[in-house]
Amino acid sequence: MGRRITIDPITRLEGHGKIEIFLDDAGAVENVYFQIPELRGFEKFCEGRPVEELPRIVSRICGV
Amino acid sequence: MAKLNLALYWASSCGGCDVAVLDVNEKILDIAAVADIVLWPVAVDGKYADIEAMEPGTIDVCLFNGAVRNSENEHIAMLLREKSKVMVAFGSCAVSGGIPALANFKERDEVLKRVFMETPSTVNPEGVLPLTRCEVPEGTLSLPEFYKYVHCLDQVVEVDYYVPGCPPTPQRIWDVVQAIVSGNLPPRGATVGATEKSLCDECKRIKQNKKVKRFYRVHEIIPDPERCLLEQGLLCMGPVTRGGCGAQCISANMPCRGCYGPLPGVIDQGAKYISSIGSIMDVQSPEEVESLLETIADPAGTFYRFGMSTALLRGANR
Amino acid sequence: MENFEPKIIGFLCNWCSYAGADLAGVGRMQYPSNLRVIRVMCSGRVDPTFVFKALSEGADGVLIAGCHPGDCHYTDGNYNTLKRIPLMLKVLEQFGVEKERVRMEWISAAEGSIFAGVVKEFTETVRKLGPYKRNGLERGGKVG
Ligand code: SF4
Ligand code: SF4
Ligand code: FES
Repeated sequence: MGRRITIDPITRLEGHGKIEIFLDDAGAVENVYFQIPELRGFEKFCEGRPVEELPRIVSRICGV
Repeated sequence: MAKLNLALYWASSCGGCDVAVLDVNEKILDIAAVADIVLWPVAVDGKYADIEAMEPGTIDVCLFNGAVRNSENEHIAMLLREKSKVMVAFGSCAVSGGIPALANFKERDEVLKRVFMETPSTVNPEGVLPLTRCEVPEGTLSLPEFYKYVHCLDQVVEVDYYVPGCPPTPQRIWDVVQAIVSGNLPPRGATVGATEKSLCDECKRIKQNKKVKRFYRVHEIIPDPERCLLEQGLLCMGPVTRGGCGAQCISANMPCRGCYGPLPGVIDQGAKYISSIGSIMDVQSPEEVESLLETIADPAGTFYRFGMSTALLRGANR
Repeated sequence: MENFEPKIIGFLCNWCSYAGADLAGVGRMQYPSNLRVIRVMCSGRVDPTFVFKALSEGADGVLIAGCHPGDCHYTDGNYNTLKRIPLMLKVLEQFGVEKERVRMEWISAAEGSIFAGVVKEFTETVRKLGPYKRNGLERGGKVG
């Protein structure tokens, strides 16, 4: 069995991320999974909001 | 004096609160002089595993921003609560749900469907949705559970102090940091970094007679920059919102949306605002009332813009 | 749903509607016991917070009754009611709450029978709607 290295959370960037690195027996990288464990759903909750209010809402997608 | 251990964390948030902390500019060096930052994903480092390995109470103060949207947010909130002597709900999302909590107007499944299947930029013919557990050849991967409701921090853990604002202003943040460092904090449970009076109190505009015959949406008029916006028919939430931001939106000639949260003693900012709006409407007959109300585009989404998690009706009938 | 007995909170103004309810009582008029009365000095005292709190803490319906427009003992208290409640109903609907759960009525001190009729009718309306579904989001409750 190879080794598994988990980097959680990845830091110094905007947003949430997690990386799972799988190494084979020789210690070489076999596979890497990058995961984004966050979702807020602006795509949905902006529906029904007045269009002129959107600049003040979607500016909170990313504040960095 | 020994250095303080400080943690800053973001749950369901935009990072604006973290950037607001950086906006204290060179004073950040003063913070670094008195505190070791053990976790601050956006700017420093720190892994969850390091926090898990700490003794309870290792962290002196945790500034927690962001709402609790999923099981990871909840887990980290509980973890940081256990390790921190003082837990601060920092920013509107942590205090009352903030913008992410607007999703409480929608069903969880509707949100997932829209995001992962329907948006024009999405290609997902098989309709794959994120799974909390997923088997891959190398092992099992996991993702947090997306909750039905967006919660604020004190709905999942005990909170010691509240710092409202979307985001809190750097000046107010500096006040809070100084209070922490000097040990000069008010009794637990207090709101810090905001005033005890309404925003109208710090708003410099001329206030005369609040009698409104119709409401305007912000793009419909260019308001007089000297006079109260509410008197000009713009739904400004100043009367029910705590002061502290320095009337930022107002000085951009835009009405307040209430990010500094309800006044002391008010349990539901939106309900209070309905009450104040009711008394300034300058109409009498039910028909006139109806047509005046037609000029308000999205009452709930406006009055609860930053407070859906703490709304008394949150998630009602769903 | 047949066996469901709704809880209804009634905010009645002291000078008209409460007296009207009294008259219904003195006149031995029958009306459902689902209504729990809270006397307020004026219908204009009913902050929407009261209504939302009533719903969130156990009520299935809320009745707000005051003097007829023009008859308020504080001149224009009920004109505020007349403006607040419709706005509150719009907000309720956006939260997914049936607006029929909240009813505003003008009932004078002489209108005991009208009071009894309103309570009867409103109780049936709320019974048909079924219980107001709250969800326990308090700390320590189930998060999800
Ligand atoms: S309602 Fe708005 S514009 Fe008017 S005084 Fe208050 S904060 Fe200022
Ligand atoms: S004016 Fe209102 S919405 Fe704008 S920053 Fe201040 S409190 Fe927040
Ligand atoms: S006193 Fe009856 S409504 Fe004001």
